[in-house]
Order: sequence, then structure tokens, then C-alpha cells
Amino acid sequence: MSLFMDLNLPFTADKKRLKTLLETAAHLGFSTVAINYVHQAQSKGKKEIPKPTPLDQLVDELPIVQGKSRPIKVLNRLTILVSDSNHYRTNAAEYKAYDILAVHPTTEKLFHAACMTFDVDIICITMTERLPFFFKRASINAARERGLMFEVCYAAAIRDSTMRRYTLTNGLALVERNNGKNVIISSGTDKALELRGPYDVANLAQLFGMSEVEAKDGVSSNCRSVLLHAETRKTACGIIYTVKTPKDTQPEETDTDTVSMVTDEPPSAKKQKTSAETDTDTVSMVTDEPPPAKRQKTSAS
Amino acid sequence: MVRVKSRYLLCEINISVPSNRLLLEDRPIFSAVKDAVASMHGDYGAAQCSIGFSVKYVNALTGIMLIRCPKSSYRLIWSALPFVTSVEHKGRKIPFFLNCLHVGGTIRTCQKFLVRYNTQQLHRMLPQCKTKDEKTHVRRAILSSSTKMLKGKEQKEERD
Repeated sequence: MSLFMDLNLPFTADKKRLKTLLETAAHLGFSTVAINYVHQAQSKGKKEIPKPTPLDQLVDELPIVQGKSRPIKVLNRLTILVSDSNHYRTNAAEYKAYDILAVHPTTEKLFHAACMTFDVDIICITMTERLPFFFKRASINAARERGLMFEVCYAAAIRDSTMRRYTLTNGLALVERNNGKNVIISSGTDKALELRGPYDVANLAQLFGMSEVEAKDGVSSNCRSVLLHAETRKTACGIIYTVKTPKDTQPEETDTDTVSMVTDEPPSAKKQKTSAETDTDTVSMVTDEPPPAKRQKTSAS
Repeated sequence: MVRVKSRYLLCEINISVPSNRLLLEDRPIFSAVKDAVASMHGDYGAAQCSIGFSVKYVNALTGIMLIRCPKSSYRLIWSALPFVTSVEHKGRKIPFFLNCLHVGGTIRTCQKFLVRYNTQQLHRMLPQCKTKDEKTHVRRAILSSSTKMLKGKEQKEERD
């Protein structure tokens, strides 16, 4: 299944630039991209988490992917730069507007906390400066068990020679610790000239020490498991899901009585997906029986 | 001694300003790629580039180029291709990037892939045509390329 994805295209307000970016990505063969809204959290003074602009405001028509007949899929992603432990608030209401959540820790403690407890899909690694801390196998193994992915961005390497060194050092350090698994590679650039095709990106990943299979996974299957992990995060283990009813003034259904009736029979599409996930072993918590904590929550509501 | 094997990398040149595409030539591209390999892999990389490495074919109109590399070092050269950012032309720097489409063992296999790829591009171009003339032009091109393929298939069947 050669479904290539690029999950880090920073948001630009410039519509034209975004349009050329999406067209180039579709031309190169990426089936899905994610527009990344980076949020620098501050402990003093509140800073609002930006709301993602809806897609029809940004782009009129989605270009068709090279080699396929479908238009490119565009998702929304939020990256939170945490430098303090109270920057990340679990289950904040603003996070629901985004499809994928990512966190970018800057200290060792936060990295460890992110791997163990934070409810996110991606952990970003700084590529533009020397990492102030070393990775610990314990944290990385814990993150792998939970199904989190580590992200490596290659845009800085293309721009500048000293950045290239830092990118390679950090990438090598990461791959050495986690044996090349659970890594996704993405561009992190908003210029269309700095995008690279999926096979070129996979080749680049081999410079970090990943094998051929791992490198190709980093652009295709690992990205897909990020999407699935994000969906399960939204829908409480992939079994319960909330649906916006097509009425005018009805707000979105939340954890009310209607939720409990859905637990008995998940829709067939979700059921297939959950079984597929247990096969791949990336999202280990998705099974037909949710862990007792989650079960109590649904019965309590 | 059996034959010397090499790898041919078929790359597509993507340029931001389409009018600059016609200025591309093989020598500046050759030196741009060589510089990229030298900066990524140092003196060792530059040395690998000096035997059996050449730019065989550049089509400025479609932006396709074919690079020949020895089999033992084609991965090294391929890994440096994403870092090629610009080419010198009469003192100006033209920014562009390369996208590797196909790796083949001979020029003929690359050519076969290129024919298929170009017909695919024609199909992609059809919905984007704005004037009626362009549309008929593209349609005629698609028709001629598909009849060629059909003729080739018929001949094959006759032989069998």
C-alpha cells in the first residue's frame, strides 16, 4: 500500500503560497497532507490557541494526486511547543478542532512526561539546534507501547549547511535509541521548492541509519498509524464516536445517554478498523474491550 | 569479465517559474549535482562522482533528466539529490528541486517508464486545459500514444 503522507506543512496566511504548496505535494505523489498550526504556549499571560481555518476558506479546489484519481486530503494539526509543564492542558476543548495533535518538548522532563502521559499523537524532535538532553530508552519504549510517533523534519537540512549537521546528529541519536521504529519523516516547510518526493525522503531517512523498510514506513504506514491513533484519541478507543446530527440548531452530541447505546454495536467500518489496528500492533489499547477505567466513565455518564 | 553495470536515475526537475525551465542545460546541472554530493559526503563523495557519473539526457521542455551512476555508488548519489537547490546560469541562480521518478539498469528501461509516465501526465493535463484548441491538441496526443501501444500489443500477439 503506497499511500504517502506529509504531516507537517506549516500554516501560511498567504493563499497563493498554500495553493502552490498543495499542488506540488499532489504532483509529487503525497495522498494526504496536514497543515500545521504551531502554538507557542506561555505560562504567564494567556495566549489563545488558534482555531484552524476551515478548508474551503483556504483553497478552492484540491489538486488530484499523481498516480491516483482522488484529490489530495488535507488535515489540520496542532503542534504545541512546551517548555514548562503547565503549557499542555490535557483535554482542552480547543484541541478538538484539530485532527492531529503534536507536542514539541524542549527539556528532558517534558520529553519523558510526553512519552508517558500526554495524550498526543506525535512528539516532535528539534532539528535546528543541539539537543540539550539525551534520549532514554525507557521513555522511548513507553511511547512506542502507546503508539506515539516521533517526527523528524528535513526542511532545515535543505536550507542550510550547519542545520544539516544538527538535523543529522539529532536524527541519528533518535534512530539509535529506538531502532528506527515509530519514526515519521515530514517536511516542515511552507515553500513549495523545499518539498521532496516520497522516495527521495525515504532515501534521506536512510542517512539517519534506518533500513530501507523502516525508511519507507516512515513516509507511509507510520503516518497512517498516526491518523488512526488520532481517530481513536477522538473517539475513546475507537468504539464510541459522536456524530453531528444534521439538524439546524442541535449542538454536537457529547457524553450523554446517547453514547451508551452506541457501545453495543460500533458501525462496521470502525469495527474493521479496530481489528486492523490490533493486527498491526501500533495502537495496542484499541481492542473490543476498553480498559476498565474507560468503561466506568461511559457507564457513569 | 562480465559487463560493467550502472544505474540510470530518471529525475524530474521542478521549477517555480516555468519560463526558467528552458534555460536548463546538462553542464550546469552536472556541476550542481556534483557540488551537492561533495558537500554531503565530502571528498569521498566527490571521488565517487568522478567515475562513470554523467548527465545523459536533459529535456528542458518537460523537465526530465537522466543521470548515469555506477552501480556501487548510486545510493550515495541518490541520497545527495534532495539537497540540490539551485543551478548557476550566466551568473544567476535558478532555484529548483529534483524528484527521482525511476531507477533503471539500462537506458531502455528508463525510456519505457518515461513513455508510460508521459502518457499519464497527458491524462492529468486534460482537465486543466483552458481553451478548446488545447483540449483537442491534448486529446489527439493521448490518442496517438494509445494507438501506438495498441499496435505494439497487436504485433506481440501476432508473433505469439
